[in-house]
Formats: sequence, structure tokens, C-alpha cells
Amino acid sequence: MVGFLAEYMFTVIYLSLFVNLGLSLFGLFYKPHYVKKLIMLGVLGDTLNMFAIFLGYRAWPSPTTPSRPPILLTYPFENASVLVEFTSRAVDPLPQALVLTAVVIGLAVMVFLIFLGDNLFKHYGTLDMREIRRLRG
Amino acid sequence: MKRVVSLAVLVTIVLGMSLLLALSGQSFYPSENLRWLAIVYLNTTYNPYLPDFTVRSPESVTAIVWDYRGLDTLYETTVFYLAIIAGLALGRGVKRLNQKPTDESGLSPIVKTVTKITGPMILAVAASIGLHGHLTPGGGFQGGATAAVVPVVFIVVFSSFYLLWKGVSSQRMLTLRSAGLIGIGLTSISLFLAGLLLGLPSYVFQNIAKAGSPLSMPYDVHGALLSGTLWWFNLFEFLAVSSGFTLAFIILMTPEAEEKW
Repeated sequence: MVGFLAEYMFTVIYLSLFVNLGLSLFGLFYKPHYVKKLIMLGVLGDTLNMFAIFLGYRAWPSPTTPSRPPILLTYPFENASVLVEFTSRAVDPLPQALVLTAVVIGLAVMVFLIFLGDNLFKHYGTLDMREIRRLRG
Repeated sequence: MKRVVSLAVLVTIVLGMSLLLALSGQSFYPSENLRWLAIVYLNTTYNPYLPDFTVRSPESVTAIVWDYRGLDTLYETTVFYLAIIAGLALGRGVKRLNQKPTDESGLSPIVKTVTKITGPMILAVAASIGLHGHLTPGGGFQGGATAAVVPVVFIVVFSSFYLLWKGVSSQRMLTLRSAGLIGIGLTSISLFLAGLLLGLPSYVFQNIAKAGSPLSMPYDVHGALLSGTLWWFNLFEFLAVSSGFTLAFIILMTPEAEEKW
């Protein structure tokens, strides 16, 4: 029963990520307001990062026992058994490192887009994309 | 009402589809095993038995970000720098007001006092996150982003001009940011320069001694683990990210003077 519940919850997360992706793309394309587009861009980026984190996840071998975080506590450590235990329990670090990079790039793009929105508002007096398209400079 | 109905429909679709998939055995469940690449990273990130391959940092994410794939992160920092510079270029030529904040400006004295107490505490936590990045989850980016919360809180609670009157001007933040980036560049070529001076083979972005190049950053200072270049990269990245965000917030939140064309 516990195993089935864990499987079910993982499937819920996986499917809701796809739904999230579709919703954020819908908001990005069909919402006319610039700030709403920015919010949806943020949601889109976070969803894709979550996919990457999900790929690197590792199942705990026995669902009934509580999990212990993989931490190298002792320094300098005495024997190799600490390292063996660490490697046998830690998740994949590479997706996390790539997501760290992607988050910072996303933040940089977001800062630039906010500056751009500031300028748009200064020039057009509105952030509604329908109005801005109609004004033509 | 219409939104609630559509939300309920979406949630029902997700839950029902997941139940169907889980019942039919097509569900997604993560594996208990890792790819061999991840096992290589985890095995070498802190391993005194492999002195030619290890990074000597128990935090494998920071090890990947600043050692195994350090060049990626250098260019990523450059992208961040250029984005801030592009934002500044969009806001150029705009005169910004600079008035003395009075006691009436901002929120109530209760909020101001609480902010005066919690502001330094946020900074301390941010420095802890940033400078322990090679030991615990965290690092320069995360610590810098945490530290950048403080100027926003102070601007909201005190006044838009509070930071400027305390001497946190955009020019100084730009200088601090450039200092951080220069530090990152110097750290990445420090061992290469040392190798040139000593006549020993060494590489750009070298951290720990490799086979064929015996140079290595000091990774253990009086029993404290520094992980070679990782600590320095985190320190300079902390400076660059926190001052970059502070710069962006100051520019975005300072009101502009009346435009007279």
C-alpha cells in the first residue's frame, strides 16, 4: 500500500508538471499584459528546472524506513565506509548543478525584462500588449 | 466561479490520469540506482584515496559548478553581468531624485526597529550560506541572492532614498561588482600564473594537484576545509551577485526626476 501510494504521488507530480508547462505556455502566449507574461515565463522556467531535478532524483531503497540525508559529517574521515555510504545514498548532483546555472541565467533574463518593461511603460504609458501593438511607436 | 470550475476540472484530470497510470503499472517512479557519471562525481568529490581526481569538497554540487564545469559558471556569471549592464543601459540618461529621508517617510517605528534588528541577521545568514558553500548546500549565488533581500526591505521600510543617504550608491555597487568579477577571473588563473612563475606545468581553472601538475590551492588551513579555489570563487561570486542585485533594485526603485525635454 505504501509503495502504491508513493508511486501514485510521483505520478501526480509528474503529470502536474506537464499541466504546469501547458498552462505557463498558454499564459505566455495569450495573456495580453506584460507583467502576466513575465510571471508565466518564471513559472515556465521553474517547471523546466523541476523536470531536471526530477530526473536526478533517486528512490530511497526501502519506503518504510525513514530516510537519512547523505552528509559527509566527519573531517578528516577515518575510513572509506563513510564515503561508500555517501555514494550509496546521495542523489545525482549534475542536474542540480545545471539547474543552479539555469536559475541564475533565468534571473538575469528576468532582471533585463523588468528593465525593458520599465522602459515600455515610460514610452507607451501602458503595459497592455494590445495597446502597444496598436500604437506603433 | 468559472475559474474554480476550470481549476477543479484540471485537478481532477491530473489526479484521475495519475490513478489510471499507477493502477495500470505505467507510473513514473525514480530508480534506486544512479548513472555511472553521477557515481563518478559522488565518488571523487571528497576522496582522500584518489588525490589526483578529488576536489576535496564534500558538497558535490558546488564541486561540479566551480571545479568540474568551472568554465560554464564563469560564462554564466558573464551573462548575469551583461544582463545587469544591459538593464543599466536601458535606464541611462535618466535623472533620479536624491532627497534626504525624513522621520515621517517609510513605515511605522515598530517596523523600522524590527528591520534594523533583522537586517544584519539576514546579512549574517547570507554570508553563512555563501561562505560555507563548499561544505553545505549553498554557495555564492544563493548567498548573494539572500543578501540582496536586505536593500529591498530597507527601501520599502525606510525610504527610497535611504540607501543612497547611507552611501550605498549605484556607482559603489558597480565598483564592488566589478571587484567581484575581477576576483573570479584572478582566482581562475591564479594557479596558472603560479605555474608560469615556478616553471611547473599547470592549467587554467586548476584547483587540486593533478597527475603531471603538482600545484594545488591550499585546501586545508589549520584544520578548516577550504576546498582550494571553491571558497574564493564563492566569496567573489557572493560579492558580485549581491551587489549586482542591489544595483538593479536601487535603479528600479529610485523615483525619477520630472522629465523636461
